[in-house]
Amino acid sequence: MSSVPLFILLCSGEHEKIQMAAMMASVGAVSDRKVYVLVSMGAILAFAKDCPAETRYQGGATSALMQQKKVPDAIQLFRQGKELGDLTMKVCPMVMDIHGWELDHLVDDLFDGFTGLTSFLGAAEAGQLVTL
Amino acid sequence: MSERKVVDARDSFCPGPLMELIANIRLIEVGSELELLSKDKGSAEEVPAWLTKVGHQHISTEKRGDHWSIVVKRVK
Repeated sequence: MSSVPLFILLCSGEHEKIQMAAMMASVGAVSDRKVYVLVSMGAILAFAKDCPAETRYQGGATSALMQQKKVPDAIQLFRQGKELGDLTMKVCPMVMDIHGWELDHLVDDLFDGFTGLTSFLGAAEAGQLVTL
Repeated sequence: MSERKVVDARDSFCPGPLMELIANIRLIEVGSELELLSKDKGSAEEVPAWLTKVGHQHISTEKRGDHWSIVVKRVK
């Protein structure tokens, strides 16, 4: 595993950006690369456990088409990245605090705990950082 | 040689075919081949790129009507 790690800071709740983050994370993780994802801001809403399927992903010019054509589900892609590769998913404690949520409010079998921005940015100095 | 496993991912969009390939290549023996069927335009380029990255072998890519047949060999 010689590639530099990939760090993805996912903030947007826009479907297109969440989908691209999931694609980058899963493909990167299965390509012998360590991938770290930090979910914050509006993106966290797409990971709520009880969110109805029809409202989980919204926004972006191709969102409706992606759902109509049944492109791979973003959360399933993140899960595949964890199962088949080296993908770590963290959630921002600030955004969880303002919602009053704990990890059990989020979809199962995806998140590995909390990481603050300072720690994430510090670790990302050793890799490639992408913000969506 | 064991029978070649076929993974039919023709109903899946990017990166679904690649992910199905990766999940299935783990299930075959080293030295065995796997054939991936995909309608995804990116697969013909993406799959060989992934194989090069991780060290498996690309045997062939063939366009068959509305889809591609990509044959790979598990090396390690």
